[in-house]
Amino acid sequence: MPGAALDALAAFADPALLGMLLAGVLTGTVVGVIPGLGGTAAVSLLLPFVFGLEATHAMALMVGAVAVVHTADVISAVLLAAPGSASAAVVMMDGHALARQGQAGRALAVSFLASMLGGLIGAFGLTLSIPIARPLVLAFGSPEIFVLCLLGVSFAVSLSEGKILKGAAAGLLGLLLGTVGSAPNAAEYRFTFGTTTLMDGLPLIAIALGVFGLAEIADFLRRGAVASGVAAIGGGWLQGIRDIVRYRWHVVRGALIGIWAGILPGIGATAGTWMAYGQVVASARDKSRFGRGDVRGIIAPESANNAVEAGDLIPTLLFGVPGGVPAAIMMGALLVFGVQPGPRIMTEHLDLVYTIVWSFAIANVVGAGLAFLLSPLLARLTYVPFVRLAPAVLLVMLVGAYQDSPNIGTLVTMILLGVAAWLMKRADYPRAPLLIGYVLSLPTERYYWLTVNLHGSSWVTRPWVVVLLLLLVASVVWGIWSSLKANRAPDAEAEAPSGPAWHVAVSAGALVVFSAALVASFGYDEGARLLPMLATIPGVAVSLVQFVLDVRRLRRGPAGPATDRAVVQSALTAFGWMAAFVLLLWLFGPYVAAGVFVPLFLVTMARMRWIGVATYTLVVLLAMSGLTWLFGLTWPHGVI
Amino acid sequence: MSLTRWRGSHRVVIAVLTLSLLLVAPVAQAAEYYAGKTIEIVVPFGAGGGTDVWARFIAPYLERHVPGNPRVIVRNMPGGESITGANHFAANARPDGLTLLATSGTTAFHYLLGRPQVRYDFEKLAPVIVTATGGVVYASPRTGVKQPADLLKPQAPLVYGGISATGLDLVTLLTFELLKLDVKSVLGFEGRGPARLAFERGETTLDYQTTTAYQTQVVPLISQGKVTPLMTFGILTGPGKVERDPTVPDLPTVPEVYQQIHKEAPSGVAWRAYLAFMAAGFAYQKALWAPDGTPKEVMAALHEGARRLIESADFKEKSQDLMEGYPTYSGDAVEAAVREALSLPPEVRAFARDLVSTKYGVKF
Repeated sequence: MPGAALDALAAFADPALLGMLLAGVLTGTVVGVIPGLGGTAAVSLLLPFVFGLEATHAMALMVGAVAVVHTADVISAVLLAAPGSASAAVVMMDGHALARQGQAGRALAVSFLASMLGGLIGAFGLTLSIPIARPLVLAFGSPEIFVLCLLGVSFAVSLSEGKILKGAAAGLLGLLLGTVGSAPNAAEYRFTFGTTTLMDGLPLIAIALGVFGLAEIADFLRRGAVASGVAAIGGGWLQGIRDIVRYRWHVVRGALIGIWAGILPGIGATAGTWMAYGQVVASARDKSRFGRGDVRGIIAPESANNAVEAGDLIPTLLFGVPGGVPAAIMMGALLVFGVQPGPRIMTEHLDLVYTIVWSFAIANVVGAGLAFLLSPLLARLTYVPFVRLAPAVLLVMLVGAYQDSPNIGTLVTMILLGVAAWLMKRADYPRAPLLIGYVLSLPTERYYWLTVNLHGSSWVTRPWVVVLLLLLVASVVWGIWSSLKANRAPDAEAEAPSGPAWHVAVSAGALVVFSAALVASFGYDEGARLLPMLATIPGVAVSLVQFVLDVRRLRRGPAGPATDRAVVQSALTAFGWMAAFVLLLWLFGPYVAAGVFVPLFLVTMARMRWIGVATYTLVVLLAMSGLTWLFGLTWPHGVI
Repeated sequence: MSLTRWRGSHRVVIAVLTLSLLLVAPVAQAAEYYAGKTIEIVVPFGAGGGTDVWARFIAPYLERHVPGNPRVIVRNMPGGESITGANHFAANARPDGLTLLATSGTTAFHYLLGRPQVRYDFEKLAPVIVTATGGVVYASPRTGVKQPADLLKPQAPLVYGGISATGLDLVTLLTFELLKLDVKSVLGFEGRGPARLAFERGETTLDYQTTTAYQTQVVPLISQGKVTPLMTFGILTGPGKVERDPTVPDLPTVPEVYQQIHKEAPSGVAWRAYLAFMAAGFAYQKALWAPDGTPKEVMAALHEGARRLIESADFKEKSQDLMEGYPTYSGDAVEAAVREALSLPPEVRAFARDLVSTKYGVKF
């Protein structure tokens, strides 16, 4: 077997093969930088070219692209608070906080290095696990996957930033949002309000971009440039390298979690990245910096998300079970070449398997290098007042979400979620538990039912289940204990504290949402209502207690600070613009909408001069049509 | 006499010439019609799924073979288990041959079952190109089942893992119903791949895979004694005529197994339901459709393209692996049979609806 591995490596001396790989890396990087476009877009873009190539060249091209998408997609998350993918939303929390403190260089360096190392560990792990992967995957049945999902959900406690009740409410809301659409166990659709739009559930990218992207943008419009002051991007690079050396074991741990999440079908790439983040927060002694610029919050998810893609290749190649959309498309391409993923691939196409592994490893190094080269250029964007960048950033995010789920309802949902997340932010609710609850909601429900229906009650005593359950209990106890401890320390750095009236209003809102959903759940079949009830019954309890606490604080404490009015005004303006753009898009289609929205925004909000406005609008329109041509983007046609 | 003969042959020649002109003229017109135009294929599933791969595989061949060489692009419109995209197509596609719909068995099943969300009607669509596939049912040796007849008295419970009662699993569920087997069906898997993994882990004991997946993933397990292959859904060679699957010829078909177990030919409403859903789910699983009312010459061009595509050596070779040697038909060749399969007698529909709602809790 080592012989085959070395032969495959030697093949990269062929400039054509290396060229294909580099072309893939370049595509993946460009696609990754654009928020909303991810591995799926990269692979679909390359697919038409692939059919004319040799199998090894085709795989180098596609693997090259998939391997680096997650390296590049943090750039916009860190610099512009526009997460390039649902996984990048994790990195955004700490990465963007660092950028705002003038340490964008450090955040990016840490992120690229962690990505690269995570990818390399992933490739190495892939090689090592190929011979033993089959028994390993087969040892993990539905009960083990179910308990692993529960473990992930329990990280919501650790991600509560010391606010257990609010964290629980957010996590439960995430679980509830995840139940929208068809139930895995029963032929029933939940919370769809009679529309087909919601039958497949809320799209992940709309949640990630809404909850983390739009909610941030709403607050940015009143600020100037993202980076404040002189702290240049360059100075941080060395610090970033030191961070990686210091937290090297976090890199390894994140990568191992990523590989494992990739290997197990059913958990998903985004959930793997979130679980890596959850574990680093859960196991940290000092949690106070997470969400405010802790590099460990970048290292763990970044090393995980490239490793996930490597781990994902194991079920794809060895079992013909793709773990994600990019892997599914690659598998389709393999079929066209007459390569059948499955048990025989190891004997019949070992060379191709190793080409894939090496492509993955080389692409990770080249991709990180490319990102290093690219980011000083892009980092200059942080010195431009955000209000000038806003129309383009907004456009890109909405377009990205629309590609994932081409329906105007997606954009409406995204803005509504943005408003909800902004309110949560005002009332000091952590948002990370919401996302982890959402991404694990469906697998938890699915594997719970499969476990119960296939194993009765005997599953509880399976050895791996016992181990994972113990880990779960330990994680929850430790999470609660350290949260309570953290609670005693005053939160000195909380930005723009909002008045208690906000808290009352948001808790009341949460109470209404959970109660309404609970009432609706009674109407569903036994198999369809379990998870909605498991989310809403404690949801009602938690938000009720929080509501009472908030009301008492309102009676005691002073009214909100005077800054509130300006903050609200800015957010209303921002969401108003977003809604206006979606309305224009729906009515007139993309070009008219952008042609009206962009100049109007630049003139009234950014107060740019007409030459600037005209050039900007022209560039945006050209970019739109260029990207449409290149990626075959989908747009609403416009009802008028 | 000679004159008459000459005249006779003259008439024949003219007739032939006219006929060929009639046949060629629309195509020639359509060549102009499609020149420089773009055909958009709406795939009502997400990227990377079976239907998406199928459509993307066929697209470049259509570009090459449809007269006029139009550009062909694929647009994914996922949602509602393909209902969203198909509804959107039915409501918006103009009958100009520039927007086509790709469907899978699932799309047809929603329609056959009369799900309330369905707003598309296959009677208002015309098939352009249709591809067949097949499926194989197999069991775990732990059940003691060595041949299909043993299914009636297994030594361990028969547990089947499926995705949903309204998807392709319905054909398997109808098979169990037809053969009167005592099977515990656990639905809720996210795909056939994960369901197969559960079979390999021993969590389920009865499984089916499309023939493609069976050949690559399951056949290697037979020699290891982990799988007992049982039967295939077969292929359709005429209305109600099921024959052995040419890719797995040594396995009996479902009706053969019925004959073997119950000592008579299958009949009745359960049999007709099996036939209807097997046809829509496997025999005509993937199809490309144009809206009704598309001009004749445009349809002729599309069918011409489909015929040339099917006959091209390149397609034959490349499609071997993806489609496992199952036939691809030009839409006009199978239109009558497809229409027959998609028009369900009321009592058959009622039987299928009753099965999925009473046994599997599907609401209508």
